[in-house]
Amino acid sequence: MGKAIAALLGCILAVPALAEGYAPKVGERHAEFTLPDIQTGKPVSLSDFRGKKILLIQFASW
Amino acid sequence: MAQAVKEGKLLILGITQEQHPDRCRLLAQWKGFHWPILHDPINIMGAPVVPILVAIDEQGIVRDTKPRLATIETTFIRPAFTDATSSDEPPRLTPFLSPGQAHPDFDILHASAEKENLPRVWRALADALALWGGEKRVSAAIDAYTQASKLDPKDAVTLFRLGVCYRRRYDSVQRQAGDFQAAINLWSRAVNLDPNQYIWRRRVQQYGPRLDKPYSFYDWVNEAERVIAARGEKPVPLAVRPGGAEFAYPVKEFPAQARARSPDSEGKINRDKHGLIRAEVTVVPQGVRPGRATRIHVVLRPDAKQKAHWNNEAEPMRLWIDAPGGWQIDEPLLTWKAGKIAVTEEERSLDFEVKAPANAKGRIELRAYALYNVCDGGGRCWFLRLDIPIELQVREN
Repeated sequence: MGKAIAALLGCILAVPALAEGYAPKVGERHAEFTLPDIQTGKPVSLSDFRGKKILLIQFASW
Repeated sequence: MAQAVKEGKLLILGITQEQHPDRCRLLAQWKGFHWPILHDPINIMGAPVVPILVAIDEQGIVRDTKPRLATIETTFIRPAFTDATSSDEPPRLTPFLSPGQAHPDFDILHASAEKENLPRVWRALADALALWGGEKRVSAAIDAYTQASKLDPKDAVTLFRLGVCYRRRYDSVQRQAGDFQAAINLWSRAVNLDPNQYIWRRRVQQYGPRLDKPYSFYDWVNEAERVIAARGEKPVPLAVRPGGAEFAYPVKEFPAQARARSPDSEGKINRDKHGLIRAEVTVVPQGVRPGRATRIHVVLRPDAKQKAHWNNEAEPMRLWIDAPGGWQIDEPLLTWKAGKIAVTEEERSLDFEVKAPANAKGRIELRAYALYNVCDGGGRCWFLRLDIPIELQVREN
């Protein structure tokens, strides 16, 4: 697990400042979304994880 | 942080912003990512860049929009957040699908779009089709985005998502001639309308010339597959393998032209009059600026109706490109390396770059031809030539 986290950190070389468009605000609820899981194709919603602390990472494999 | 994840105190939730989800599955397999990763090919999240990290607490409240991994333990994981924001429901980025719903109701969305005939309603239908309609509904997604775009031609978001769908259809059995070029042109238009969109720009650069690349997009794929196989696992198969452009590294100067001789300079080889092999050309970007480069993709496909297939037992397939005066080509002669199987039917994609002279203008034509060994369904085989004219439009600066 530790190696996987390190690998993820390695993929994120720099985190740029948030620009316009997607604009989550501290203190407010994050917008709800439902997207397909890349493994199963089934819908997964942010609210499915209510009750957990989440680190949401938007990225790309390139 | 690793310990917090292991103990279930923190969940990592990923969203990948790329065209092909299987490539992200391969990355996850290689690196051992065991957390959920969702696919957002149309960037419905509206992320203008990647990566973006956001820390969200147990109630769904954003606690940090720039969390630092070095300090996240003390700033986010350990604290108990007791203050609550308003109980109002948050906005939904995907309103056509509610949590717990298996799939959108496409009929209701379509009826609504037809009735209201507003660009945002057509786009909502298109978004639902693009995310949940699968391959069989990709043409319907294209139609819906096209309607939205007709009503609001300056909506760059719609143009980008329409391009995503054209590329998806290109990668599917439903491919139509020109789909790849349509995707490139739409992405280029979207970036021209909103040049600050990093992810959109990357979609064009992924397939474009090395002078415009920020880095190699998929140079890690071969190593990932090798490492995974060495572990005794089967690498995630890629439905669409990255091509030359996606592996290529950036350069600061256009490379010197490789030396080569035209293999059929006198045009003596018989032409493929029956169309056993068909060629499709995509130019990325389609408009090339004077002094700049463009990458040209040539895909050759055996004609399925004639049961055409490659004969790999003789000399390999080659693609030759003649450049008009002043134009540079990085590799005028490309050779396809076939495997050991004597007869195959795969499509073959070759790409190369051309650089326009500083005084280029108007429309020019590159003359290219392919030489190959091909057989038809009756077992008759030939060595043939296919002439491939490539039109380039020079854009004004």
